Amino acid sequence: MAKFEPIKGGYVNLTIDGIEYRVYYEEAGKGIPFLLQHTAGAEGIQYRCLLNDADVTKNFRCIAYDLPFHGKSLPPLEHDWWKERYLLTLDFLMKFQDAFIKAFELKRPAYMGSSMGGHLAADLAYHCPEKYCALIGLEGSLVTAPQHSRHSANDAYFEMYDNPFIGKEALGGSMDMIIAVQTPERRRKEITWCYNKSGPGVFAGDINYYNHDHDLTGKADRIDVGKCMLYLLTGSYDPATKPSDTKMLADQVKGSYFKEMENLGHFPVTENYDLFKTFLMPVLEDILKREKGKR
Amino acid sequence: MKKTAVEPIVGRYTTVSIMGEDCRIYFEEAGQGIPFLCVPTAGSDTRQFRHMMCDEDITKKFRVITFDMPWHGKSYPPVGWEKREYKLSGELFMQTIRSVSAALGLDRPVFMGCSIGGRITLQLANFYGKEFRALIGLEAADYQTTWYDRKWLHRSDVHGGEVSAAIVSGLLSPTSPEVHRQETLWQYMQSGPGVFGGDLYYYHVDSDLRGKLGGINTKTCPLYLLTGEYDYSCRPEDTLRTAKSIPGAKAKVMKGIGHFPMSENPAQFKKYIMPVLNDIVKREKKS
Amino acid sequence: MSGASKTSMERLEEKLCTRFEQAVPKRVNSDSHFVWRGRNLTADCLLQIGSVQYLIRFEQGAIKECRRGLPLMCSWDFAVRGSARAWEELWQDPPKAGWHDIGALIKRGEMTMEGKLHPLIANLQYFKDMMELPRKGGSK
Repeated sequence: MAKFEPIKGGYVNLTIDGIEYRVYYEEAGKGIPFLLQHTAGAEGIQYRCLLNDADVTKNFRCIAYDLPFHGKSLPPLEHDWWKERYLLTLDFLMKFQDAFIKAFELKRPAYMGSSMGGHLAADLAYHCPEKYCALIGLEGSLVTAPQHSRHSANDAYFEMYDNPFIGKEALGGSMDMIIAVQTPERRRKEITWCYNKSGPGVFAGDINYYNHDHDLTGKADRIDVGKCMLYLLTGSYDPATKPSDTKMLADQVKGSYFKEMENLGHFPVTENYDLFKTFLMPVLEDILKREKGKR
Repeated sequence: MKKTAVEPIVGRYTTVSIMGEDCRIYFEEAGQGIPFLCVPTAGSDTRQFRHMMCDEDITKKFRVITFDMPWHGKSYPPVGWEKREYKLSGELFMQTIRSVSAALGLDRPVFMGCSIGGRITLQLANFYGKEFRALIGLEAADYQTTWYDRKWLHRSDVHGGEVSAAIVSGLLSPTSPEVHRQETLWQYMQSGPGVFGGDLYYYHVDSDLRGKLGGINTKTCPLYLLTGEYDYSCRPEDTLRTAKSIPGAKAKVMKGIGHFPMSENPAQFKKYIMPVLNDIVKREKKS
Repeated sequence: MSGASKTSMERLEEKLCTRFEQAVPKRVNSDSHFVWRGRNLTADCLLQIGSVQYLIRFEQGAIKECRRGLPLMCSWDFAVRGSARAWEELWQDPPKAGWHDIGALIKRGEMTMEGKLHPLIANLQYFKDMMELPRKGGSK
């Protein structure tokens, strides 16, 4: 008989704003609950190496979920979602966090998110730091698109990535551009496959939050790391969010942690987990130190 | 029926060697009892069986297991996928099912497949009947004709997910609940590029099984065939013709159902699957 | 044609055409999400109900023109032609099995798709939903 990975997948039914969602998640480990947010248009499988890493799971109950419309999480149940355009908002992301945390009765979890998930780490730090014990933003920044081109940036994404005349591989091909050149080929192809199978309009709809809804300009300096520490890490080979973009955010959040991750691109967790781990472990050790005696 | 927040389904990963190639396979299970291995339609994934796996009337007697074939759902394609075109053959399909079954340590499971999974049931019955307690083919026939060109499903200038879903949308019964119809189609929209078309290659390379199923012995392994009346890919008459050519095969046409019975109309499907499952339980008690 | 001498087929076609004209252009154009779904579709379609031909001009998902009878030397991108029976059965609520979908009708030889199929196939679900509008009271 075969050996099984330690990951356990499951489904939880959440109600957000009166609408029911069937949400898929995968978890492994014990200890501090650790919520893991995938990138736009992708799914929790991005964290598969982390979920298989005993060095992490021995102290953290790692939970990687698929947002509704992503991976194995269905569009909303009992709601005519096919009559609407999918657009992700900050409001929904925060309510999703609340609902998920409540469903599993998680006490002050740690959170880590990448790309749009990285942006979300900073948004959570601003809006509701008391709900978390630590917030880790990968490839996150103050804001994505310059304010004056906000709407046109959104439309361009729909034109390209929600277009019946453009094949699904266009999305994987586009993401290939922001993967670090040093990335092992099989990991690169794993990332592009994940994007190639994205549902229609999902990536473009997620970009609504990434481009439009996320903007901490003029607000980031009010983030209080005393309530919850904010860790910001960005790959040196990420052209979508440059390390200098993230540093701009980190400079405004007094006391936050910033690290540039050499030889990693926009998908550090998946491109090269072993290398990413060298940057992650000091952060996790810091979290464990801060949380000692508190649980 | 009030749902609990967390469903009884558990998903796991394991690496399975399939015809010499290592594949990371995702599978789900719920229930206990008779092992009941289920395979969804082409281009789709484990979610097609979600209603069955949350139905205690089934899971109290059956350990229902379903898995994502390589290239589908959470079972990603093997390393080097970008260098080849995905093409499923009957042989690869049978060995995938047998390899996964062996990896999970299943002892002569009941097997149920839908669409291409229904057709492979016929070939499993023909070649490997002794390895199963019972075989249930949904939307299965020894021969069926197509009505569209498979090449539309994988082009750089056509969204493969949208066109795959649009093409199969007509196979759903118009009387099935809309939310379940849309849920079934959503899975096709998420299908990886070339996967649905690659699965359908099986119909091309193993296109005609008429006269080639002489190895089926329904005394060794009972064979049940169920087909939805609104299915025009595998029409009820195709299934009935197939059943007629197999001594002892039991066939039934399901009213108000199309090509995706367990996904598009679980309540209606239950009326047809429960007598089959009860029959299997009765046989198990006797033996 | 004067009503007194119409054949039953002509009467059926007339009934179907009336149903089509009442349902399709208005219900598409008044549903902003429906139009949005077809935002990449700009093409001319020949639709045939029995012996009656329509020219439907799509412009970014809206129906700009729906004209019974083709103008002289008219060109079109793709054609969908169905027998009167095909459309009659398709628009039953609920429809009979095997007559319930454009694909089913093509498979049984009661309907064809011709011409430059690319814009049709790329927007297939939009087009199918549009063709089924006469079946029900509301839009899909």
